[in-house]
Amino acid sequence: MQDLTAFFRQFSFCSIALRLVLAMAVGGVLGLGRTRRGRSAGFRTYMLISVGAAMCAMISLYLYQMLKGPWAETAARVGEKFDASRMAAQAMTSIGFLGAGIIVKEAHQQVNGVTTATGLFAAVCMGVAAGVGFYEVVLLAVLVVGLVLNLLSPLEGAFKRHLRNITLYVEFDSTESISVITELLNEQHVHIYDIDIEQTEQKASKSPSAIFVLQMSRENHSHSGILSSLAELSCVRSVQELIS
Amino acid sequence: MLSIFDGLRGVDFLSVFVRIVIACVCGAAVGLDRSAKNRPAGFRTHMLVCLGSTVASLTGVYLYLEANLPSDVSRISSQVISGLGFIGAGTIVVTKKRTVKGLTTAAGLWTTGIVGLAIGSGYYELGLLGAAMVLITESLLSLLNSKIHHHPEYTVELSYREKTYLDDVLRLCKNHRMAITNLRIHTMDSVGQDLPKYTAEVEMRGNTDSKVLLELIQEMPGVVSAAIQ
Repeated sequence: MQDLTAFFRQFSFCSIALRLVLAMAVGGVLGLGRTRRGRSAGFRTYMLISVGAAMCAMISLYLYQMLKGPWAETAARVGEKFDASRMAAQAMTSIGFLGAGIIVKEAHQQVNGVTTATGLFAAVCMGVAAGVGFYEVVLLAVLVVGLVLNLLSPLEGAFKRHLRNITLYVEFDSTESISVITELLNEQHVHIYDIDIEQTEQKASKSPSAIFVLQMSRENHSHSGILSSLAELSCVRSVQELIS
Repeated sequence: MLSIFDGLRGVDFLSVFVRIVIACVCGAAVGLDRSAKNRPAGFRTHMLVCLGSTVASLTGVYLYLEANLPSDVSRISSQVISGLGFIGAGTIVVTKKRTVKGLTTAAGLWTTGIVGLAIGSGYYELGLLGAAMVLITESLLSLLNSKIHHHPEYTVELSYREKTYLDDVLRLCKNHRMAITNLRIHTMDSVGQDLPKYTAEVEMRGNTDSKVLLELIQEMPGVVSAAIQ
């Protein structure tokens, strides 16, 4: 067993093949649940990214080997100014840019795609670890990151649906309606943290709207209940929950 | 490292020629698959990216090994990686439905660039293995991709007369193990007694087939109409 680990820690053809396959498998594990949820970054994207990151790390290792071996004479003459971590470090920056491209700004102060972007970042980090042959951390981290990415999302969804805090986007007839809405909310013992009025002028097509940040009462905090009772008001045109 | 490439690790005319040829072949092989699927970045783009990175990393090695300048062999290569990130970000498109397209292409282009870096540094084994893996992921595994059972979100649009009907519909969805992820209620300007007063868009996710659920919702009393967006 010890011989085997020592063998794969060496920098040989077999070990680089193993590291690439490991990086690919790690990407697949991280991405599989994302594909099932119909997200834009599926397991193929994750695989490509972590294989690329592993390659970055291995090119550095290769260059270092060359500097120690065949290029040693030049290194002695010119001086060695080599940093074995530089290429892997740039891989992280690079995926940061890709991630920024994935994050989409939506209407009403919401963003989408942050989890996808961070998942790709995690794939790069684990690809780099696989590339340098740090197998222990890869195997441990794939368990934890896979768990967070794939299994915790239903849990987070359920948690959010039972939160007392809720953010609502409401469209109404005129700015006077805000007082009617706040009155109703006070009646239901809802605590209003913030009202952000988006549009006060009445254009032909769009009604004035506002974003309400609320905390519901401890006894009654059904999300659909508060939406229904707001929709019942005659001055309210539409109401929607904003989920981050 | 394999010994067959040992004569080609330095920077001489033959090894430069071999590296450029291999980079062209790898870039074209990955890109042809993309072209065949009619994706925005085809085989010319992939060849250019692969060749460019090869030349960049070759230059890095040349500066040190032949020009004997005190430099870091990997600096040029490493900056290529972050440059590729920008190109990748540019190929990502946000569609009108606020979803993201072109992500696999962006990731493939990024990895193809790194294949080019490996070849240019003289690490032929890694470059060829990497190109093979990109090809496997992009072509063979895309067949697998369509076989995976998706549970995407869907939105049910319904119109109803009284507030309580929506609660019934939501309860029905919950009983069918659907998780409500978002809810939107619009009030209609209708006056007649028989016309629906509200429309609601219910976003949900779960294991129940959308068509089965839709039929159940349509049969509910008080629901005037229901459809899946």
